[in-house]
Amino acid sequence: MAMVPLQAVFRGDCLTLLVPVDDQDRMDVVAQKVAHHVIHRRLPAQDAPMRVRYHDRVLPTHHTVAQAGLSPMSFVEVFYDVREREHPGMDRGSDPG
Amino acid sequence: MPKLQRSQWYDLCRDMNWQFKYVTDDEVFPEALSHGHGIRPAAWWSWDEPYKISYGEYVHNQAEKEAGVYSVRSALARSRFFENLDPGWKAAIVAHYGVFAMPEYLATFGEARMGRFGRAAAWRNMALFGTLDEIRHGQLQFSFSHALLKKEPRLDWAHKAFHTNQWGAIALRNLFDDMLTANDAVSTAIQLTFIIETGFTNLHFLGLAADAMETGDVEFSTLISSIQTDEARHAQQGEPTLRLLIQQGKKAEAQRLIDVMFWRGWRAFALLTGPSMDYYTPLAHRRLSFKEFMLEWIIKQFNDQFRDLGLERPWYWDLFMDELDWLHHVFHLGIWYWRSTVWWNPSAGVSAAEREWLEAKYPGWHDRFGTHWKTIAENVRQGNIALTHPETFLIVCNTCQHPLCCAAIGAPPQQLTRDGRLYTFCSAPCKWIFEQDPARYAGHLSIVDRFVSGQIQPPDFDGALAYMGLSAAEQGTDATNYAWALEQPERPATVAT
Repeated sequence: MAMVPLQAVFRGDCLTLLVPVDDQDRMDVVAQKVAHHVIHRRLPAQDAPMRVRYHDRVLPTHHTVAQAGLSPMSFVEVFYDVREREHPGMDRGSDPG
Repeated sequence: MPKLQRSQWYDLCRDMNWQFKYVTDDEVFPEALSHGHGIRPAAWWSWDEPYKISYGEYVHNQAEKEAGVYSVRSALARSRFFENLDPGWKAAIVAHYGVFAMPEYLATFGEARMGRFGRAAAWRNMALFGTLDEIRHGQLQFSFSHALLKKEPRLDWAHKAFHTNQWGAIALRNLFDDMLTANDAVSTAIQLTFIIETGFTNLHFLGLAADAMETGDVEFSTLISSIQTDEARHAQQGEPTLRLLIQQGKKAEAQRLIDVMFWRGWRAFALLTGPSMDYYTPLAHRRLSFKEFMLEWIIKQFNDQFRDLGLERPWYWDLFMDELDWLHHVFHLGIWYWRSTVWWNPSAGVSAAEREWLEAKYPGWHDRFGTHWKTIAENVRQGNIALTHPETFLIVCNTCQHPLCCAAIGAPPQQLTRDGRLYTFCSAPCKWIFEQDPARYAGHLSIVDRFVSGQIQPPDFDGALAYMGLSAAEQGTDATNYAWALEQPERPATVAT
């Protein structure tokens, strides 16, 4: 268990945030931690799952920070996956979205 | 005994240039302080300033200016002009004093360095006046802000800001160190006087003085006008220095100095002047939008000068022009949302009428920024003020030290690793500036670097506010106590049947 500070932006927001996560956090938790600083604050919530993109790759939800290879100050983008909402169950592990 | 005309004695008295016999030229003008670009010493002696003034004339003029500006202050001291100023305008001037008063003193270093290490007597002579000017500008702005302390205690930040680790102060120190306190004489002439003073602040002060007068702040208008007349004179050290470099085959070096500081100056200008013009200045008193001002005054002048001098526009010109539409809006949103981290009360400036004005001046503003402000306003109306305050930091750029803005155009930050350290940049030009002289910039720690490296304790947002020197009483709040959000909420348009 180790804290990993990430640089993060939530798609649609215009500011990049420092978001501390744990290296054992899964990507759905990372997305929630980033969303906490944006959604209902500067952007409204959407009824769609959230995903994490890193280096043009959408990371599988079950991957942890350590498994995804995120290191301190890595830049990630979190976004609502509207297509996932419309077509649930599709694997988008490497889909640039 | 008849007096000679100034033109009959001026050049003779001014041009105290000579060949050194007992010391080397490099001992008199060390490269680190002077940077002669390998141009032979006597070639510098053709440097000639466009604005000539004798010491006697200088003292006479300055004494008159001082008498004028202090008499206005005395006349207004017993009035309630400050109390009656618009809250948005107060935000602009409280921010201004913290940002500009101390750098005026710092500019004394740059002017004095040119006054000693400039390569021509004519240049050193002009820089001496510039040194005296900057001392005066510092003292004037400390004096004026101090006189208002009882009415606005945070004007203490006119002096305090630069002695803190507030994020904006860190950014400004970084900029001013690069531009003038840690710069050689030739680079200072180009980067401080040609780019920043001639290009940005001289025109900015003209506009600011007019806006102050329009808003009813006669005192501030008089102060800024008085300073601007000095700036217009001593800023003219840059052009003859540039002409000489170009004549001597050093155009590429001159262009690089311009390209570095134009970008840095633009970013500071967008952060400070953009929100002041488009959000803080009361709507009824806005004459030009920030973009219109940039196009009509700043960019036109730069274009004319680049053409006249045979220089190119900076290589990132298209990127710069695109940023006119959005950069300062991003900075404003960041400053307002992180308002507890600044020493003034930012005016949101997004009432229904103001949003209409913004959309008219910046078509597409609603699409880009409307949702953010609508979400914030809704939280205000529902009493969820906590949701209008941050719980974490903004990432800042390792060159300009400003909040990272690239997400606004859907671009990832630029990054590079050097000696095992990761550096993050808001834009390609900021990364390019860093790469021009990595050793110059690499050691600096941004506010985020300090947090991540454990320098800020406790490592949370309150710890950061304490680190930045901001007590609860000093932290910024909304200038109008959210009046803009509490006005009648927008209603959906009625559909005609």
